[in-house]
Amino acid sequence: MATASSRNPFLYRRRISRGAKHLLLIGFGLIMLYPLLWMISSSLKPEELIFREPGLLPSKVTFDNYTEGWSALAHPFGYYLWNSAVITALSVVGNLAACSLAAYAFARLNFPLQKLWFALMLGTIMLPLHVVIVPQYIMFSQLDMINTIWPLILPKFLAHDSFFIFLMVQFIRTLPRELDEAASIDGAGYWRTFFRVILPLCTPALATTAIFTFIWTWNDFFSQLLYLNNPDNFTVPVALRTFLDSSGESSWGPMFAMSIIALGPIFGFFLAGQKYLIRGMATTGLK
Amino acid sequence: MVDSLSLKKPVVTAPAPQNGSRQAVNRSRRETLAAYTFLAPWFVGLFLITIGPIVASFYLSFTDYSLLEEAKWVGLENYTHLFTENPRFWTSLKVTGIYVLVSVPLQLGFALGLALMLDRGLRGLSFYRSIYYLPSLLGGSVAIAILWRKIFGADGLINGLLALFGIQGTSYVNDPDTALGTLVLLHVWTFGAPMVIFLAGLRQIPSSYYEAAAMDGAGVIQQFKSITLPLLTPIIFFNLVLEVIKSFQSFTQSFIVSNGSGGPNDSTLFYTLYLYTKGFKDYEMGYASAMAWVLVVIIAGLTGVNFLASKYWVFYGDSK
Amino acid sequence: MRSLKTAALLAVAALTLTACGSGDGGDAASDGKVKLRFSYWGSDSRQKMTEQAIAAFEKKNPTIDVVGEFSDWQSYYESLATKVAAGDAPDVMTLEIRGLAEYAGRGALTDLAGKVNTADLDQSILPAGQVDGKQYAIPTGVNVFAMLASKSILDKAGQELPDDKTWTWDDYIKLSAKISEAGKGEYYGTEYTSNNPAYLTIFAAQRGEKFYDNGKIGLTPDTLKAWWANFTNLIETKGSPDASKMNEIIAAGQEQSLIATNKGAFGMWWSNQLGAMVKSSGQEDLSLLRLPKTADAQSGGLFLQPAMHWTISSKTEHPAEAQKFVDFLLNDPEAGGILLSDRGLPINSKVLAAIKDKLPPADQKSLAFIDSVKSELTPVIVPPKGGSKMEDIIKRYTEAVTAGQQTPDEAATKFLEEANAAISG
Repeated sequence: MATASSRNPFLYRRRISRGAKHLLLIGFGLIMLYPLLWMISSSLKPEELIFREPGLLPSKVTFDNYTEGWSALAHPFGYYLWNSAVITALSVVGNLAACSLAAYAFARLNFPLQKLWFALMLGTIMLPLHVVIVPQYIMFSQLDMINTIWPLILPKFLAHDSFFIFLMVQFIRTLPRELDEAASIDGAGYWRTFFRVILPLCTPALATTAIFTFIWTWNDFFSQLLYLNNPDNFTVPVALRTFLDSSGESSWGPMFAMSIIALGPIFGFFLAGQKYLIRGMATTGLK
Repeated sequence: MVDSLSLKKPVVTAPAPQNGSRQAVNRSRRETLAAYTFLAPWFVGLFLITIGPIVASFYLSFTDYSLLEEAKWVGLENYTHLFTENPRFWTSLKVTGIYVLVSVPLQLGFALGLALMLDRGLRGLSFYRSIYYLPSLLGGSVAIAILWRKIFGADGLINGLLALFGIQGTSYVNDPDTALGTLVLLHVWTFGAPMVIFLAGLRQIPSSYYEAAAMDGAGVIQQFKSITLPLLTPIIFFNLVLEVIKSFQSFTQSFIVSNGSGGPNDSTLFYTLYLYTKGFKDYEMGYASAMAWVLVVIIAGLTGVNFLASKYWVFYGDSK
Repeated sequence: MRSLKTAALLAVAALTLTACGSGDGGDAASDGKVKLRFSYWGSDSRQKMTEQAIAAFEKKNPTIDVVGEFSDWQSYYESLATKVAAGDAPDVMTLEIRGLAEYAGRGALTDLAGKVNTADLDQSILPAGQVDGKQYAIPTGVNVFAMLASKSILDKAGQELPDDKTWTWDDYIKLSAKISEAGKGEYYGTEYTSNNPAYLTIFAAQRGEKFYDNGKIGLTPDTLKAWWANFTNLIETKGSPDASKMNEIIAAGQEQSLIATNKGAFGMWWSNQLGAMVKSSGQEDLSLLRLPKTADAQSGGLFLQPAMHWTISSKTEHPAEAQKFVDFLLNDPEAGGILLSDRGLPINSKVLAAIKDKLPPADQKSLAFIDSVKSELTPVIVPPKGGSKMEDIIKRYTEAVTAGQQTPDEAATKFLEEANAAISG
């Protein structure tokens, strides 16, 4: 499209605009990074200096917060990481399986009362959480599930989180229906269409679901505190809070240090997960 | 616009039912059965764990329930008190309304803009994406509250910069006039979740469309207008609906920054924060439940409008 | 293929699920022990101490298994109320005086009179655990609300430590202004506290008024206005930072207060916070002072505040064991030796005598201070049902007045209206 003579300035302009883009992204990235840098810096300061010395560069670097924080609680911190990992992993599996099934039905199939169920599905996330905490607790306590991880993961396997159902519905609906129909002509039933056509094409949505479920479960504090109230079952967010005591003495240093460590798994999962935010084979191969 | 770029593949139509309605009935019966099978886990969840507490909270909204004693039926009293005798209810509605109105478009705009920038064409994109997602990872932690004060506090970064120009600022987090603004910024700053969803949505757009458009000589802006935007509408719609719902339920930001008080002087009293205070600090869970259901009506109304309006601007790949 | 994989994953998940389910918790009744649940809040250091005390108790009572249910302060009441609502209340609960009437007044607690040995306890403080004449709670220890003064800041500003037996609110404000002036923005005279009802309670007591008086708010509008004048005067004379900055400091909490960050000469805190303040400010010479008085004060208004309360659920299935445990926490020198002053200075004279020398210097100081003001104390009042809202109400109106959004007159009227409504319902 560009003639030979205009080609060079064009490339040059592109390089400039690329450079500008990078600069912009980096500059903006620094604003995004600031909190993390600040937390890292705080975690490396001797505790009494955290609030007295506001700067980003610690005047004295110490790893005491890390060693202290790791062993400050009843169990070494790794124990809580493991507890969190188990719950989080199960939640991811549960949400991926249950929500994608429901989403396929809502997005692609026609059935009686479809609109009603869909409205109800969306309606369930409109009620503020705080008023269902108590009834929910009563329910799980009658099911004798207090102090087990069931109240935390059972909802995931039963597609309790409409956010993800709706998310996948929207993604499935961006896919041309011709794909299903082609599969149907090839003799595929609904299950085969779902597994062979829809799921592979929804990789970005599935990756998004996995990433969000992982992060939100990992950070979810209150339900984990409520349902796992025995200190042996504590998870990372609950353990982190025990470093803080608004009525007495808080251990800010160890709290920051362990927060950094707790960020590791979610950040790692995000890095790994975002690779699957890829172009599905149909969207590249479809022509 | 989009239709002209539509799939360049012979369109396969579904086999028309050959003879009469029996096959169609069979098919629709099969489809219904399949649908309810796919939905089975969701149905079990709905009736086993979701519906019960929701119904319970609805019942409780007509009671005086302190959590520590049995609930006592009071009819509509909670609702009438809420609407006629509680100025803080209106304050919290106003605060939340402003917050939603300002922060949702801002956040979605940011998220979409960055998603477009981070979609392709540059080196190190996954690195940038990760960095940009970071704030959302930290979103609800206490560290953010501290940090926000470091930035917008009396001795914070902003005032440090202003001081260079000889301007003396106040503590923006704790001035009744600016406190809500800082929370809006906090919300915008954690745009990671919608950004990731936009990114995923961009990946759903077949690259062949762009190739075809480029061949027709369409420029970047033209491509954005005629391919990206229309094909992304289902995802924009999703983000819009969910962000509206979530922002109305915003709680954490105000809770951690104002230390649970909604202060100064109720300037950051989010609706859900007030509801929480009523339920768990004032031991008036019946009243809190009534508040919750008022919120449900508001959110449901807005979501309904959203869905109705979507018919005019959302394009689905499966529509015919 | 894919479906197989999913199915396999699900199967694995289900297996793990059941494995975890059976591994976790469960009632430990199988070993024949009585399981006692005990809820409390705090930080990691308190958790460690408490677990030690529990171990000591279990050693003495091998048939009882105490399980500590521990939470951070922010979520403590939320999770506790949820459990109580579900009929799943812990047997022994830690409560504060603020929440006491909420729980006791609704039949959630057992009357402990005659069930727990209170013979060696400071009898004058026992009423702090009584609601409607019944001993629903027993204080874990006590504090007083006092003025913390930083010697080093006073020295820097060239000022003397005031005589706290005679100083008035005016003296305090003037002195603060002078210090701020000397500090030139580097340090201030004082920080104020808008979120602690104790300040208002003491101020009112000096004017002969009770915060709660026969089911009503006993404060007069004049007292409220005079009290707010303390705030506005401090702000106007720059004795304290301005209102928005003070809001910020208050929201940030104890560790980032002016005293803790070494940026202020005065600040009002509970006596048991002295240790933490010394630690975060790095200043050994913080001292405790009586709060200033009004010019014609009838009393200093200071009172002994229970740091926390031990209570027993009315629904407990093991009342005898629960009483034994509370008894141990209160009266056993071994428990006292482990817990020290973590939950306030012990009110058991024998325990106190036994651990006195083991207390850290800051607590020794608090103890000496409490002893020195003992003869001047006024009795503490248990806030009635609805009293837990008071902190928010006071804070909100104080913020409105200090920001100039409401006149003190207007705020006083509205305050009394709202506060009275809060405790009437």
